[in-house]
Amino acid sequence: MALNGIQIFKMTPKKNCKECGCPTCMAFSMKVAQGAMDISACPHMSQEALDALSEATAPPMKTIKVGTGDAEYSLGGETVLFRHEKTFVSKTRYAVKLDCCMDAAAVDAKIEEIKKVDYERIGERMFVEMINVAYCGEHKDNFLDIVKKANETGRILVLDCEDADVAAEALAVCAANKPILNGANASNYEAMSKVATDAGVVLGVSGKDLNELYDTVAALEKSGNKNLVLDVTGASVKEAFGNAVQVRRASVKDQDRTFGYPSIVNLTKVAAGDKYMQAALASVFTMKYGSIVVMDQMTYAEALPIYGLRQNVFTDPQKPMKVEPGIYPLNGADENSLCLTTVDFALTYFVVSGELERSGVPCNLLISDAGGLSVLTAWAAGKLSSSTVAKFIQEEVEPKVKCRKLVIPGKVAVLKGDIEAKLPGWEIIVGPREAVQLVKFLKDMQA
Amino acid sequence: MPFNQKPQKFNAQINTVTIGSGEKAVTLGGGSTFPFYTFDAPAENAPKVGVEITDMGLEGMSAGIKAYYDGAATMGEIAKKASEMEGADFVALYLEGGDPNGADKSVDELIAIVNEVAAAVDCPLVVEGCKNVEKDAELLPKVAEALQGKNVLILAEKEENYKAIGAAAGLAYNQIVGAESAVDINLAKQLNVVTTQLGVDAKKIVMNVGTACAGYGYEYVASTMDRIKGAALSQNDAMLQMPIITPVASETWSVKEAMASEADMPEWGPQDERGIDMEIMTAAADLAAGSDAVILRHPQSVATISKMIKELV
Amino acid sequence: MLINRIFSGSDAVYGLTAEAVENAISQHGEDKAVGFPHTAYCLPCYYSVTGVKVKTLGELREALTVVKSLMTREHELEDALMSGVATALCAEFIEALKYLDGAVPYEEPCYGHLADSVIRELGVPLVTGDIPGVAVILGSAPTAQEGVDLIKSYQAQGILVTLVGGIIEQATELGLKMGYNLRIVPLGKDVTSVIHVVSVALRAALIFGNITPGDAGSLLSYTAERVPAFVNAFKPVDDVILAAGAGAIKLGFPVISNENENIVEVPGALIACPNVADFNKVSLEARNIKIKITNIDIPVAFASAFEGEIIRRGDMQVEFDGSRVDCAELVQTKEMDEVEDHKIEVIGPDVDTFELGSKHSLAYVVEVAGKKMQPDFEPVIERKFHNYINCIEGVYHTGQRDMFRIRISKDAYEAGFRAKHIGEVLYAQVKNEFEAVVDKCQVKIYTDPAECTRIRHEVAVPAFDRRDARLETLTDESVDVYYSCILCQAFSPSHVCIVTPERLGLCGAVSWLDAKATNELDPAGPCQIVTKEKPIDENLGAYEDVDEAVKKFSQGALEHVTLYSIMQDPMTSCGCFECICGIEPFSNGVVIANREYAGMTPLGMTFPEMASMTGGGVQTPGFMGHGKHFIGSKKFMKAEGGIERIVWMPKELKETVAERLNKTARELYGIENFTDMIGDETIATDPETLVAFLTEHQHPALSMEPMM
Repeated sequence: MALNGIQIFKMTPKKNCKECGCPTCMAFSMKVAQGAMDISACPHMSQEALDALSEATAPPMKTIKVGTGDAEYSLGGETVLFRHEKTFVSKTRYAVKLDCCMDAAAVDAKIEEIKKVDYERIGERMFVEMINVAYCGEHKDNFLDIVKKANETGRILVLDCEDADVAAEALAVCAANKPILNGANASNYEAMSKVATDAGVVLGVSGKDLNELYDTVAALEKSGNKNLVLDVTGASVKEAFGNAVQVRRASVKDQDRTFGYPSIVNLTKVAAGDKYMQAALASVFTMKYGSIVVMDQMTYAEALPIYGLRQNVFTDPQKPMKVEPGIYPLNGADENSLCLTTVDFALTYFVVSGELERSGVPCNLLISDAGGLSVLTAWAAGKLSSSTVAKFIQEEVEPKVKCRKLVIPGKVAVLKGDIEAKLPGWEIIVGPREAVQLVKFLKDMQA
Repeated sequence: MPFNQKPQKFNAQINTVTIGSGEKAVTLGGGSTFPFYTFDAPAENAPKVGVEITDMGLEGMSAGIKAYYDGAATMGEIAKKASEMEGADFVALYLEGGDPNGADKSVDELIAIVNEVAAAVDCPLVVEGCKNVEKDAELLPKVAEALQGKNVLILAEKEENYKAIGAAAGLAYNQIVGAESAVDINLAKQLNVVTTQLGVDAKKIVMNVGTACAGYGYEYVASTMDRIKGAALSQNDAMLQMPIITPVASETWSVKEAMASEADMPEWGPQDERGIDMEIMTAAADLAAGSDAVILRHPQSVATISKMIKELV
Repeated sequence: MLINRIFSGSDAVYGLTAEAVENAISQHGEDKAVGFPHTAYCLPCYYSVTGVKVKTLGELREALTVVKSLMTREHELEDALMSGVATALCAEFIEALKYLDGAVPYEEPCYGHLADSVIRELGVPLVTGDIPGVAVILGSAPTAQEGVDLIKSYQAQGILVTLVGGIIEQATELGLKMGYNLRIVPLGKDVTSVIHVVSVALRAALIFGNITPGDAGSLLSYTAERVPAFVNAFKPVDDVILAAGAGAIKLGFPVISNENENIVEVPGALIACPNVADFNKVSLEARNIKIKITNIDIPVAFASAFEGEIIRRGDMQVEFDGSRVDCAELVQTKEMDEVEDHKIEVIGPDVDTFELGSKHSLAYVVEVAGKKMQPDFEPVIERKFHNYINCIEGVYHTGQRDMFRIRISKDAYEAGFRAKHIGEVLYAQVKNEFEAVVDKCQVKIYTDPAECTRIRHEVAVPAFDRRDARLETLTDESVDVYYSCILCQAFSPSHVCIVTPERLGLCGAVSWLDAKATNELDPAGPCQIVTKEKPIDENLGAYEDVDEAVKKFSQGALEHVTLYSIMQDPMTSCGCFECICGIEPFSNGVVIANREYAGMTPLGMTFPEMASMTGGGVQTPGFMGHGKHFIGSKKFMKAEGGIERIVWMPKELKETVAERLNKTARELYGIENFTDMIGDETIATDPETLVAFLTEHQHPALSMEPMM
């Protein structure tokens, strides 16, 4: 099992040479133990120590990289089964499917639809990061055309193709962008592996059941290809879910490294033609262990919930999600509208802004940096104080907003006097303790 | 060398709680694995899907939901249609009009609606309070009294009013007590502890451990449920073995993504579609995390989630 | 004598009952149905006690033989009490016969038998405490007015009052409005009608307590623990009433009476109270009924929204300032009979005699008493005063103990705010928030300068000194239990703090006394008792009980925790820690960094870097979060040699803890000015310079056993 920092430190040369970039060997050891640095960063380790350590510190699940440049993503590398234990590190990526049976117009329309969904939410760009192009075995030319078109979008391709020759042709078009070639199985894996390796891309492997998948992966590893993802789709929804969970559990919990790879779940196969079922399942596989989820469509209807869910689930359980500090005008507020302030904890922001929007009253929601903590926690930790509020208002708000009425959260009524003292000219009003009371509070205030 | 499967079956299980009576009664809980881990042990009782209606009738409902209820004029008729929805296991009546900050309907007025709805359906019934703790403390005991003998689930007592609601629903009128806490395993447990100390049978409690819409702090819901199921099964913690019900609809149909009209957000596309997907995806996540029942509104969501459950168990 | 009278009363009632049953049988035959209307429990009292449902007169006759078997005559108190129960059952039989043939024996205003639905409805407010008690008033008061005053005093407290006998006529005579909705329920004029309230209590036990009918033991303990009823019996108390009273006592309901002839007190059960005006107080105390205070009687508002209000000099009417004149605030534990609940005394001139803008002395002493009160809770209550007084509109409080300052605004003064209102607020808040431990509370407010000086120097300061001394002497060895704290689990799911007297919570905010009080006030809350009966290794601070607790409260994430080691199974950290200490291998010691310190440490890590690997409820050997106060503790990493291992701290932190730390070093190792040997950021931020400094100052860690 994993070593702790002290155990690693004992194997270091204890020279504090700083060549690894850390000020001390102790600091380096702690980082290695955390998984934040690789043991190979130390130039003075003995081979013996290196061997012992790299075995012990190797992650149970490999991190597989796809794409290039800005569009490079990591898949896998997870160390836990539940997010409260430790952060889930590699987000689920969604791929929209194109297949070689579609005509050119349909393909173009689909690509346009894919491009339409592109927006920002709490500092993250939300868009369809991957496109799945499937080859049915017949329309090769069309397939290659679609690969070309899809590749031009700059999205990462997941090529479903079990024919090694066709795959090689497709990769000739798009290999530079580091797509995934998904098509190895018990009968073709040698040929497929060669095509993928030659092109320097990740290979997707499937099997008729978990045993066959396991054996195929073992064979591929033996042949030296460890740049894999596992297509766990299976024949039914139930099978796909069972596969995804068991593969992840075997690697993370039982340390079975053969299954220590990211997964692909193709919903267009287990819920063909049912976009609602695909939506439901996309959510399930975001919660439980899908690294890539293939769907028939990703319109705003699917995107708004699924990207929000993903943004929530793949967060550090220790660090609350934060929104950018700033002035958020709501309901058409202008510089003369009432000001309300709260903390930058994303949940608080969403709840408060939601209630304010519900009230319909134009107002400016002022978010200051409170370390991403909730109101009371931030107050207790000194991150929300009369000084932080006053400083933020003086520096950021006063130049932009004329209104001099500020509503503070009811839970920090205790700050009222101090804020008044530090913000001459402002009227400080104590708001309700809970966001749900805001609508009534604003209504009463206007009355 | 084949894959070495290591099933993870626990020696503990989630309590079984039956709501309603007769042929259509539903039973929640009973499982001894994480949700849908049928490869560890066969599923006991599949999660259930409820259809939510509110005392405000169809006011504020989306076009698709209104279309389904077309022709239903009274609460009784609405309730009947709800119970006939494809995939519906039970009906949940949300007394939102009782909120003193909203329509502030009187208890008597709401009880009349409760009686009308109860008379109109033959499926199990869940009654949700207005969420105002003082009003619910007054309202829900009356609901429990009015529905004596129907074995309904009363949602929900909270830390602030558990005595009034727990005692009325769980002791005086023999209903099922819903215990609602705010996305924290310890708060959930504490409420169960004090409720059982009142004398309520632990096997007559169903938890609502908190809800959130996908994208709105959902990580807390996911982790709370993960941890509760984990503690219930691996630690055999009797005070966390109550089944979980999650009222999804009231949460998802009030966020911007579901509420904004297509006129306001043309690029987002049809409003109903957004509402449906928000409801479906949130419900699916809840079920994957451990809900034993979800409460939904849109007929499409009910049909899809119910089908998904059937495919997964 | 008392016992004989009960026997005689019980025999008399039995005789009457037997006769009535036989008469009824001869008139109606054995198969005649008997029972009360609107109940599923037949004869509810008899059914609850025996588990047998009586449905006919014939069965009633058989039941009488069972009743007779309860009437043993061994001349012990227990025999008398059981005869009391038998008397009550006889009363039920007599009352049941009144309802034969669907008769309606009671008419306005009397209720007689109460339906099951009434009990379901009553049960909820009884459970929630909205009805804090049930009074049974029996007989005729000395005067009608006294009787009605007594009824009204209970009514004002929300107590349900049931009336039996002459008191009903007295109440009618004075035009008192009665009825179930008004919580005044006249039962009937015959003494046997008292059984209808007993029937309510016993059915409540079946419905709300899930008691199995016939399980008399559980039944009686339920009524004793959960049904807050008591009896007020006016003189004359004859043998029959006495026998019925014995039944009440057996159910756990104390009987309070003004009878003084031929009667002996039974402590806590049969209580003499010559003055009817005192019945209320004596009854509530005897039954341990606490009345919730819903309304604080002050002329200004009281809400947390006013907590942050600051009263500026110009807006101020008067000021009390502990830094200039003698002031003090104090909680004192008293005996029950030393405290008169809700008594508020002002000793000295009131605010209206003070000049505008003037400065005065003020001392307030909150005297509390309670069966579960402990002097250890005094500071916990006292610390809340700041918050309570600040929540008053127009009143401002800072500081604590004898160094506080209070300002009263002109507006509050104009509205009528005076010294006694401070007492009203303290009284109401202490009673409400500390309900679990404070049964009675009175407040003395001193404004007389000489009195304030006396209170400060002769009462308060010695009390503070005593408390501080107790804290000093409180050691891990001197207590029997520790406490867990899981307040932080919302952030750190698997983290559990074990709080001991010498090791406060790592947030620095929860001491052992705080944890103890939290546990007492909220038994199902975040702080639970952890025993320490099964030591594994006392040097490490390893206990089987502690391990069990940690495993339980972390939901299995942690198996072992030691209290005094940072190398072996150190206590986890949530993220709220004030400080982190981490092993510094080159000097064979530990470095401590506090949250406020932003710079580099000789470990090559900053506080945030150390925090990122220590937090989250994981065990990181060699690193540990802790409170500042823990640094001077004799238990600080005791297993590795204690505070001698400390080699480096930020300068500011070093200065904060210097006094305690040096004292501990002197006591443990005879080292003077230990902090001079400890490095800080002005001396070194890398291990090499630090080791040189330590060598030069002959720091003891260098020559200690290697830590790893």
